[in-house]
Amino acid sequence: MDELELLKKDWKKEGNSFPKLSYNEIYKMILKKSSSIVKWIFIISILEFVFWVAISFTLKYTGFSDDIANVESNTTFIVMSIISYLILAYFFYRFYMNYRTINTTDNATTLMENILKTRRTVKQYVGFNLIAIVVSVGVLLPYFINQDPEAQTIIENATANGELFKFYAGIIIVTLLMLAAVIVILLLFYWLIYGLLLKRLNKNYRELKKLEV
Amino acid sequence: MHKELEHSFVELLEKHQNIIHKVCRLYTYDYDAHNDLFQEITIQLWKAYPKFRGDAKFSTWMYRVGLNTAITLYRKSKRRISTQDFNDVQFKISAEEYDDTEEQQLKLLYNAVRQLNDIEKALVFLYLEDKNYREISETMGISEVNARVKMNRVKTKLRTILNP
Repeated sequence: MDELELLKKDWKKEGNSFPKLSYNEIYKMILKKSSSIVKWIFIISILEFVFWVAISFTLKYTGFSDDIANVESNTTFIVMSIISYLILAYFFYRFYMNYRTINTTDNATTLMENILKTRRTVKQYVGFNLIAIVVSVGVLLPYFINQDPEAQTIIENATANGELFKFYAGIIIVTLLMLAAVIVILLLFYWLIYGLLLKRLNKNYRELKKLEV
Repeated sequence: MHKELEHSFVELLEKHQNIIHKVCRLYTYDYDAHNDLFQEITIQLWKAYPKFRGDAKFSTWMYRVGLNTAITLYRKSKRRISTQDFNDVQFKISAEEYDDTEEQQLKLLYNAVRQLNDIEKALVFLYLEDKNYREISETMGISEVNARVKMNRVKTKLRTILNP
């Protein structure tokens, strides 16, 4: 007999040897909480949204509050924050809608695609925040330098000594290094979390898609 | 209403629980993991049950959710220490039923299936359950032609593992 036929024959017989769970045992199970990757993606994503909103509030209400109060009356700043809130709302809406379409009764490929779509939305949101950090630093830093009396004195001294170029080059290099460090740490963090969580899904998705045209 | 739904669900699941056991049999190798996956599939089925309209057979629907949970949603827990071999403990089939060579062959077969990846296991599972290519393609979300090609490759791979 062909080996696979032998396996099939045995497989059917084996159906009788499984433990039989009672009505009550099954009932207890449906009251328990799921620990699926979708749930974890959802929790982590919510934490990401909260994290970025918290960062923007912390920056607003601590440390530089005086400076920020000055900046806040600036039209560019108002426009920038309105745009960023609109974008946050848009991302949150898309994330939620993606999450809602995840449905275990879809076929395997569609289910995986829907999960990856949710993940992609969050990825774009993180990307948006990283770009937003770079842009705000680019816009706000020159503004602070222009406004800050201390910075003005330094600039005047530097101009007198002919070291203006050195001063600006120093600021730009330090800022870029700090931004790069923050971005690398964050990306590494996301890569670790999602890399581990989605490793199996990605592998299976690639396997399913291998022959499809 | 909710109680009624719960009752009808648990009753149906009790009747068809073997489908979940079979999925667990392919994707887990010890007793705790089997129970873990069984529970997760049950939860996913229960979550999806309000959307189950009965236009598909309950059992067909279970295959889909069960496999989706096993290959997509389930997170293997790494904490587990007990790695008692499930084959040896739970489903030891009495030796008298088979002659030695057949039993030996089956052991090799199940070991070969273990070496397949998640998707290949899903295909073997659907093959063992006598599903046709249309059902396989609908469950996996791939074309029928692709299902056929992949299935043949899995069979070839199994034979290669068995007769190197």
